[in-house]
Amino acid sequence: MTLKKYFAFSLLLLCQFIWAQKDSITSLKEVLVSDSNLKKYSASQSVLKLNDSVINKNEALLTDLLNFNSTIYFKEYGRGMLSTVAFRGTTSSQTAVIWNGININSQMNGSTDFNTISGSDYNSISVKAGGGSVIYGSGAVGGTVHLNNDLAFYNRFENNLKLDYGSFNTIGINYKTNISNEKWSAQIGFSKNSSTNDYKYLNRYTWKGEQRWNQNGQYDVITLSANLGYKFDAKNSLKLYTQTSNTDRNTSLITETETPSKYINGFNRNLLEYDGDFGKFKANFKTAYIFENYQYYPDNSLNQYTYGKTESLITKADVGYTIFKSTQVNGILDYNRTKGYGSGFGDNTREISSAALLVKQDFSKDWKNEFGIRKEFTDNYKSPVLFNLGSSYQFGKLYNLKLNLSRNFRIPTFNDLYWEEGGNPDLKPESSYQAEIGNVFTFKNISLTQTLYYIKITDLLRWVPGSGGIWRPENTDKVNSYGAETLLSWKKQYGKNYFGANATYAYTVSENTETDKQLFFVPFNKVTTAVSYSRNRISAYYQFLYNGFVYTQADNDPNEIVDAYTVSNIGIDYDFKFLSSFKLGFQVLNLWNENYESLENRPMPGRNFNLYINLKF
Amino acid sequence: MKLTRLFLLAISASLFVSCSNDDDNDPKGVYDKGFFILNEGNSGGGSVSFASDDLANFTADVYKTANAGDFAGVYLQNIFFDGDKAYIIAGGSNVINVVNRYSFKLIAKVDSGLANPRYGVIKDGKAYVTNANTYSYSNPATGDTDDYIAVIDLATNKVESKIELKATANRILLENGKLYITDSYNDKVLVVNPTTKALETPVTIGYSGDSMEVKDGILYVLRAPYGDNRSEIVKVKLSDKSVTKITFPKSLDRAGYLDIYNDKVYYTSNKSVYAISPSATEASTTPILTASLPTGGSIYGFAVENNKIYIADGGDFSSNSKAYIYNLSGVSQKELTVGVGPNGFYFNN
Repeated sequence: MTLKKYFAFSLLLLCQFIWAQKDSITSLKEVLVSDSNLKKYSASQSVLKLNDSVINKNEALLTDLLNFNSTIYFKEYGRGMLSTVAFRGTTSSQTAVIWNGININSQMNGSTDFNTISGSDYNSISVKAGGGSVIYGSGAVGGTVHLNNDLAFYNRFENNLKLDYGSFNTIGINYKTNISNEKWSAQIGFSKNSSTNDYKYLNRYTWKGEQRWNQNGQYDVITLSANLGYKFDAKNSLKLYTQTSNTDRNTSLITETETPSKYINGFNRNLLEYDGDFGKFKANFKTAYIFENYQYYPDNSLNQYTYGKTESLITKADVGYTIFKSTQVNGILDYNRTKGYGSGFGDNTREISSAALLVKQDFSKDWKNEFGIRKEFTDNYKSPVLFNLGSSYQFGKLYNLKLNLSRNFRIPTFNDLYWEEGGNPDLKPESSYQAEIGNVFTFKNISLTQTLYYIKITDLLRWVPGSGGIWRPENTDKVNSYGAETLLSWKKQYGKNYFGANATYAYTVSENTETDKQLFFVPFNKVTTAVSYSRNRISAYYQFLYNGFVYTQADNDPNEIVDAYTVSNIGIDYDFKFLSSFKLGFQVLNLWNENYESLENRPMPGRNFNLYINLKF
Repeated sequence: MKLTRLFLLAISASLFVSCSNDDDNDPKGVYDKGFFILNEGNSGGGSVSFASDDLANFTADVYKTANAGDFAGVYLQNIFFDGDKAYIIAGGSNVINVVNRYSFKLIAKVDSGLANPRYGVIKDGKAYVTNANTYSYSNPATGDTDDYIAVIDLATNKVESKIELKATANRILLENGKLYITDSYNDKVLVVNPTTKALETPVTIGYSGDSMEVKDGILYVLRAPYGDNRSEIVKVKLSDKSVTKITFPKSLDRAGYLDIYNDKVYYTSNKSVYAISPSATEASTTPILTASLPTGGSIYGFAVENNKIYIADGGDFSSNSKAYIYNLSGVSQKELTVGVGPNGFYFNN
């Protein structure tokens, strides 16, 4: 490695995150990104990219990374337990998680549990705010979270090993190796993050006066990834992404007397992708097989469980053509067949086909336009015509205006359609219109993005108690969600001292239009801040999170809330410069020992510690 | 006819009130002379509301008010009383909270030996509490045959023994020294002798038996089967276990609750309340009242007491719901905003 590269690398480490328009990837040559549409069709929306240096500074599971670095709100059933999101005031199944371009939200419940994903399994994680159903399909309403593995084609053999040991016997083993030359690129990763998670509840005692602690909260998340790329020549390449994961978790008790239960879930994902680049004409074919399953044991001590499994086959053909220098068109055909079976919803198969057309037109370097339209075809539900319309205009160096209008949806899940009893086969998809204005100001080392949005959601699914006490999903609710997101980033170098700061602020109003009440578990306010400093071999950072109060009931009873909380983390590491890099780091999490919970009766840990070694060789 | 009956009723009621007033005039605590509304709650926990008999005073969350920092548990199912104590069953938390019934201050918890406890009764210093134990959705082998009665020594608040029921069990009632148990997944009324802990010959009544009450040696059970099956009041003569039935017309399908008060059998279907004489052989299809519950609401708790009809709307389980109180002619007296999922009324007099 040359000095220059070292310099570029350390710069990368410095900034907590980098905006899409200044994508770090562009500085490294010959990287095949796994999801080219993310970059290509997001000029009119805001994308927050978290690279591996940020990923490494946060706790292993994805909840922490995104909670401390993005505007997304998390509801956690205790540390490491089920964790669901609200993005722009939408529901947990209205944020789509995209793995290398493929939507991986559960076919069974529509959402993703962010504590089943380890951040270190990916090269970068991007958070794209706003609608994206035209490209990413169901659930891309509030926004999308992208888990990307990028394959690089240059001579290298790099290993990265991070070992963590922290409070409550929290152990992390995260290993990744990259082996590549100009033809081949391989990336193999292994992650295991576990904890006995038996932390004390601050100032909470049982009626007998005994200290309460987090019982039955142990978790173990293991993921194995292998990604392979081969370049036949300058025009043709083939990529294979595979990932297998198992999450074995007990479910922490809210009362000591409850029956301890556990939940095991796993997935297996395989994606084969062909890329052809013939100048004006580009082709991308994808075939994916995705398997997910769960087993729920209502009583740990008994070998009795309920289960569900789905298998999805996805094929996608994306053909791009450059009409003029300024205009590119992509036509996408998509076929998805999902077979689901389980103790709750029998044995069902669902087939969905779709056709989409994307147009990108760059009138000039400063004025970019996007247009997309998509329609799904299926017997299961009536699908709306989805569209996306966006424009980005750069006024001088200082100011960039972005406008985006889209229609998005969320399709009913296997649970919604087929649950026995109660499943409702006549459901419509939830659908939404969304408009946003983004203002991006760039001044010297400061970047400020402010986005105002308005989302109108209709046919929101809700399970309601029906006759005979049987709950049934219905397209009952209408929700208007609007708010403002502010992202701020700053970095500066004074001699050998590097400073960086990032902040996000989200103001969110999400109202049921019938009752004029705020959706429960959507905070009005959320703030995150991170400042970092480094000099020579030392780097340090401080993170701060403020989460405003949330209502826990639909009627907004002011007595039934989860209080606002502020949590801070601090960390420092020292690079011994042994091998290519040998860092020893120490973190204090929840520095001020805040007594908080993100869900009622589910306290989070007080001050706790983590020690890590990060080795590169 | 109707008027004279009402008149008589009013007289007897006033006599009763004046008598009891003579005996005992001073309230024994904040929550004396009123009734509790048990709010099942959702996965975030349940609560207990209180209203005075004259409906003038109301407290939304009695348990939290009296026991700051303690958590009653999830899925509050039932309250039963013994002496000065009230026992609150939290089905989802396997716990029974023992409180003073007049102050609601926590005294103890029965915190072991329970598995999805449901309903309880008291006899001779012991509580008999049905436990659903495991369910067949996760335990097809024995989920429907492992229910039991936990026998709790009320002096120690410990489960001292179990009576295996070899069936599913839910509501429980004590009459003349015997325990009677219904459950909607069981086509029988189970009969248990608590002294010998022996299962006696059950009475077959058909599936979906739920609320029950005894009057004059006859057990009245309301059953409301699923599908295209008629609801029924099954009358079991306890002396010889002979069974007669009042089969409801189709218009009363999916009947809800039954309560006997002042020589009348009250029952609900959909959002309406009906009443018949205990000797009636046919169901009444003329409602006393039809509750004006909001869309999506349903009767989830029901009682007739103190010359009033009490209805709880189950609501949507994510908002506070309401209790509706009517006089016996069906005229609305009061609406109370209670907690999430109110499922029962318990009178504290």
